[in-house]
Amino acid sequence: MLITKNIKMADVIHTNYFTLSVLNRFGIELGFADKSVSEVCNQYQVDVAFFLEIVNTFVDKDYFPKKHLQTFSVKLITDYLQKTHHYYHQVKVPEIESLIEQMVNSCYTQKETLVLLKKFFTDYKLELINHTHREEQIVFPYTLALEQVYSSEKPDSSLLKVLETYSIDIFQNEHDNIEEKLFDLKNIIIKYLPQPKDSKLCNKLLYELFNLEQDISDHSRIEEKVLVPKVREMEKEINKRFFKN
Amino acid sequence: MSKTSFIIIEKSYLIRKGMASLIEKIPNTSLIHQFDNEDDIKSLDHLEADFIILNPDLLSTNVLKAIKKIKNNTQLVSISDAAISISKDIDWAGSIFIEDSQNTILNKLNTLIGNRGSTKIKSELPEEISKREADILKNIALGFSNKEIADKLFISAHTVVTHRKNITRKLGIKTVPGLTIYAILNKIIDINDTE
Ligand SMILES: [Fe+2]
Ligand SMILES: [Fe+2]
Repeated sequence: MLITKNIKMADVIHTNYFTLSVLNRFGIELGFADKSVSEVCNQYQVDVAFFLEIVNTFVDKDYFPKKHLQTFSVKLITDYLQKTHHYYHQVKVPEIESLIEQMVNSCYTQKETLVLLKKFFTDYKLELINHTHREEQIVFPYTLALEQVYSSEKPDSSLLKVLETYSIDIFQNEHDNIEEKLFDLKNIIIKYLPQPKDSKLCNKLLYELFNLEQDISDHSRIEEKVLVPKVREMEKEINKRFFKN
Repeated sequence: MSKTSFIIIEKSYLIRKGMASLIEKIPNTSLIHQFDNEDDIKSLDHLEADFIILNPDLLSTNVLKAIKKIKNNTQLVSISDAAISISKDIDWAGSIFIEDSQNTILNKLNTLIGNRGSTKIKSELPEEISKREADILKNIALGFSNKEIADKLFISAHTVVTHRKNITRKLGIKTVPGLTIYAILNKIIDINDTE
């Protein structure tokens, strides 16, 4: 079922509880009684149309209206992406770290292998931080500057200068697959790790890894299939308009 | 037993969905990817599939190029209107028509899968890594590059790459840190060798 703006926000969560993390990203808190999606969005000053598209990609894994998503502003899209980064760093990664830590602490027989796992994830965390940091420091500011130029008649020359420093093609080429290591980690745990006594922790960890991997892959899809093509179109248009040759 | 894998390339959402739901009905199959346009097909070369079910209308030069890059034992199956004549430049393993009944399609798919059977089973022997692969894995885990490994073992860099691909396929681990953990867990290297 696809979510529409007149559905009760409470029912959105009943439909699929994964949407909880989406609400969280948009800063929407629970306790909305019987308010509809659009009422709640308005209350939190969230763009209803954008919220609906994002939430629906979570509800239905086959639903991904690329073209429509590209019609939203760069500001809206990068804001959302940035909030997702924040969610990884503030919520998901610490959760996983704490589970691994608990596993290390509760196990005496094979501490060594668990320490390996821990190191693997610590390295991964650094990689994730670098990845999102680069996007937030270079890519998103560039796309935002580009949008400003795009929507103004006579853009500031300093703004036009910014555009010469980067291009979305560079991003597309350097954007690496950040889920791959999570996939490996899962497989190592599923196939090769001598099973620790406490399988409960191990299962929880796997569940979190699956969850984060899926989330990051959805996130990257928005970067690659929505932001990149959108910005590329804008680049073309700006080139025509301001650098006619 | 590893699964028989499919990719569907078709513009129509309804046909893709329908095809996907039929594949789902056959045990031990998996649908790895569905494409609806050319842009996305470029990413085909990361994928490995036993069958690509493809609408011949989408056979542009780009698509052909992308398909050629895929492992050569991938078989192509057309999906189209029975009335449309299909390009003979390509080796089709079979053809499915949108007018076909559910049973006809399932039979066609099962036959295709059955015909592959013999080649399939061979690759399903226990996926243990060979002695040579273990050597390579050891060197990967120790942090050597393909070139360095090639020089050390007196083989070509190309051979190293092939071994790496096989190791990854057998173990289901793609990254160097992942392979390193595997190597340590299996005593191919010692944990103290890594730092
Ligand atoms: Fe990102
Ligand atoms: Fe990214």
